[in-house]
Amino acid sequence: MPGFTEDFYVRYYVGHTGKFGHEFLEFEFKPDGQLRYANNSNYKHDVMIRKETYVSQAVLEELERIVVDSEIMKEDDRNWPEPDKVGCQELEVRRNGEEISFATTKLGNLLQVQQSKDPEGLRIFYYLVQDLKCLVLSLIAAHFKIQPI
Amino acid sequence: MDEDVPSQGQRVRSTVTAVRKSKGRGFQDNRSTREELYGTYEGLEGDGGTGPLKSVEGWVVFVSGVHEEASEEDLHDHFADCGDVKNIYLNLDRRTGFVKGYAMIEYAHQQEAQQAVNNLNGSDFMTQPVKVTWAFSSKPLRRIENRSRR
Repeated sequence: MPGFTEDFYVRYYVGHTGKFGHEFLEFEFKPDGQLRYANNSNYKHDVMIRKETYVSQAVLEELERIVVDSEIMKEDDRNWPEPDKVGCQELEVRRNGEEISFATTKLGNLLQVQQSKDPEGLRIFYYLVQDLKCLVLSLIAAHFKIQPI
Repeated sequence: MDEDVPSQGQRVRSTVTAVRKSKGRGFQDNRSTREELYGTYEGLEGDGGTGPLKSVEGWVVFVSGVHEEASEEDLHDHFADCGDVKNIYLNLDRRTGFVKGYAMIEYAHQQEAQQAVNNLNGSDFMTQPVKVTWAFSSKPLRRIENRSRR
């Protein structure tokens, strides 16, 4: 179980610009517990959802456990596919004086991960962002009763 | 959609000045799309206190240390003693398919949720002690300091 760190910060973005404009989902956790969430899809309904709240220490600790257990901080995006027309994903983590700011394209499936130049690293990213999204969507849904797009 | 890109509210770029090691494309140039986090965010008003924050439909407690084979039903049984469980969020690890290790339990009344926090924190759940706390806070947990850390 990793120790809790006071400077822990996470931000994730996924999005693309296309027929329906700039569609994206983004969230960040600040060290003081602030969680910000934005989701914009222009498809059929013009809604931009922007929500914020403060989560408890226990939520931050669980988030940190998930990030640390994934060992994402040991990876590097050097050999990952570049962001492109299909889309862009960004993951930023700060912890214990180390920071990562990774960017890659949208990953539709595991096959794409396996065929990349860094399947081990990209797989860690692929699963971690799903686990993070899952946590955030549940927190937002539980607090605001929003069904994400 | 109106092309409304609000510019107010500088985002905190970095909360820690002493970064020893940086890695990734995000540091190479300014192509980051982070500006989407600018703008006005909606939140829920607390009661002005420093304690837990009420959610739209009730009070949510956060459970960690949840056994990887736990089910919603197991959780319901464990938490129903404190009150009527309105909702359960139990997420799975996307790679393994097992429970990720945390859950959220929603009660309609603060008293019920408080009882869960008081009585079930540290309790044994499927042979493992679980941590039971509030999920949301009405105040920041700490002041973000702009100092270097050793």
